[in-house]
Amino acid sequence: MGCDVFTVSTDTEFVHLAWKRSEKELANVQFQMAADPTGAVSKQYGVYDDGSGLALRGTFIISPAGVLMNSEVNFYNMGRNVDELMRKFKANLYLAKKPDEGCPSKWKDEGDKTLRPGPEMVGKVHEALNG
Amino acid sequence: MSDVRLGHDVPDFSMNTYDPVAHGFSKVTLAGQKEAGRWTVLFFYPADFTFV
Repeated sequence: MGCDVFTVSTDTEFVHLAWKRSEKELANVQFQMAADPTGAVSKQYGVYDDGSGLALRGTFIISPAGVLMNSEVNFYNMGRNVDELMRKFKANLYLAKKPDEGCPSKWKDEGDKTLRPGPEMVGKVHEALNG
Repeated sequence: MSDVRLGHDVPDFSMNTYDPVAHGFSKVTLAGQKEAGRWTVLFFYPADFTFV
């Protein structure tokens, strides 16, 4: 898919290794684990919590051109849905190829209905979605 | 506060990484990702040894 996922926390890469080594739940993890011990990158993305020195649960999709295409930030006690992340990522890939189209909320994968915003759709979104 | 905005270039970053596949330490930079033509997902979480 031409995509790399990096998990990021304010731990060092050495702690990442120790955690990966000890936690059986991580046995199959293949993502690279990135270290942001100064919080510099977390601050750039607005997820750094000064009080704790930790990063909130933020997910960011960056295009190969280096443009931020998606952002989502959850508070500490709210988990993320990987299906929704995949949906957003696939939509970004699709829209990179078809920039004139729009992926509605129920879009899941290539072949699903898309919208073409334009004058004829004004006031007719229902028809466009259900036609 | 956040320096990044949707639809805009994000600043370059450089982070040391642990790569579980290569089982070694490495480094990621946005410049390198751009040069390789790769999409990048940054998945922040509070801390190792806790729930993610």
